[in-house]
Amino acid sequence: MRAARDIYEGVYIAPYRSAIHREYLRQRDLFLLLGFSDLLGVPNPIAFYTLELYPELLEQFHEWHLRMGMEQPPEGGFRCC
Amino acid sequence: MLLNAEFLNRFVVFFGGKGGVGKTTMASAAALRSADAGQRTLLVSTDPAHSTSDILETELGSEPTPIAEKFWAMEIDPEREADLYIQGVKDRIGESTAPRLLAEVERQIDIARASPGAEEAALFERFTRLFEDAESEFDRIIFDTAPTGQTLRLLSLPELMSAWIGGLIGQRKKVNTLGRMWRNVAGSAAGDDLSGKDPVLEALEERRERFGRARRTLTDSARASFVFVVTAERLPIWETEKAVGSLTKYGIPVGAVVVNRVLPPETGGEFLESRRQQEADYLKRIDRAFGPFPICHVPLMEKDVVGVDALRRLALSYLGATERR
Repeated sequence: MRAARDIYEGVYIAPYRSAIHREYLRQRDLFLLLGFSDLLGVPNPIAFYTLELYPELLEQFHEWHLRMGMEQPPEGGFRCC
Repeated sequence: MLLNAEFLNRFVVFFGGKGGVGKTTMASAAALRSADAGQRTLLVSTDPAHSTSDILETELGSEPTPIAEKFWAMEIDPEREADLYIQGVKDRIGESTAPRLLAEVERQIDIARASPGAEEAALFERFTRLFEDAESEFDRIIFDTAPTGQTLRLLSLPELMSAWIGGLIGQRKKVNTLGRMWRNVAGSAAGDDLSGKDPVLEALEERRERFGRARRTLTDSARASFVFVVTAERLPIWETEKAVGSLTKYGIPVGAVVVNRVLPPETGGEFLESRRQQEADYLKRIDRAFGPFPICHVPLMEKDVVGVDALRRLALSYLGATERR
């Protein structure tokens, strides 16, 4: 019974789960890009009004560059580590 | 040519126009007239050259200073506003930020302070707060604005910002929905708990709400009007024509056009006669261009307009006699 559940889990749930996770991270990164486009040199008219979001997004940025395989944050952006 | 001062009967009145046409003088006279008519009136200047202090012969600061009965004035310094705003943000985030991140967050905020647009944004922030806070203390706020281009940009901000922030909110909601789905399938392995309130989303929605309120005030012709000051010369007319077009596009109601420094008929001499002929052409052009709005002529004065008494005389000449209400 337990083996059957593991097979079900592996065949049906796992791909679905990883797809959701990928999409979740993708949309999170897009939010980071929209909110902090000025770090990439793309003007952001509301940058001045979103300063209070920095602490939250700095954490997210840190998580992003690790996930992208960069041990150190890219030049010119946040210096989170 | 006198103008009934109906356009002054709004909660917010802006005076704008090309630099040097006499905005500050006209706005000050209108504010004094409004106060004399029994309305608690606040005159707000954003001119860094402190010309309002000069005209009213009173040192003004960033808080309302009493000038005459029911008449207060203040000068907003964009640089100082930006510094205050930055300090406020730092104070607010100080408690909630992990200590190891704090130095970096503050560094980023200082970079934002130095970016172009920071002062404009701080100024706009102060404007919107004035709309909201001043309503209980004042019946009318008269803004003596910066030269045309800057002002137009400032007034277009609510629309631009609302659109941009709307996009961010939409994206944030999408992230939160996916985050919840991810938690449902992954359980405790998902890490962050997203079930509570999202402070980022809340901050963004509060911003959008404020932009929305500012925009509703600015575009309500029963609550706001924009008065243009021009002189009968080529460039001021041309610039004002363009500005009227822009304001119409943003839905901000134009209340009146004031033509300043019109040559009085009693002046003579060959030189002035030829100036007067040229002026007549420009006055015709002003009538054609701004015909749909009330137009008001203010004569060129013998002396500079300085002090409350001189402003009262000027107000009489361009707004007519006071009617107490």
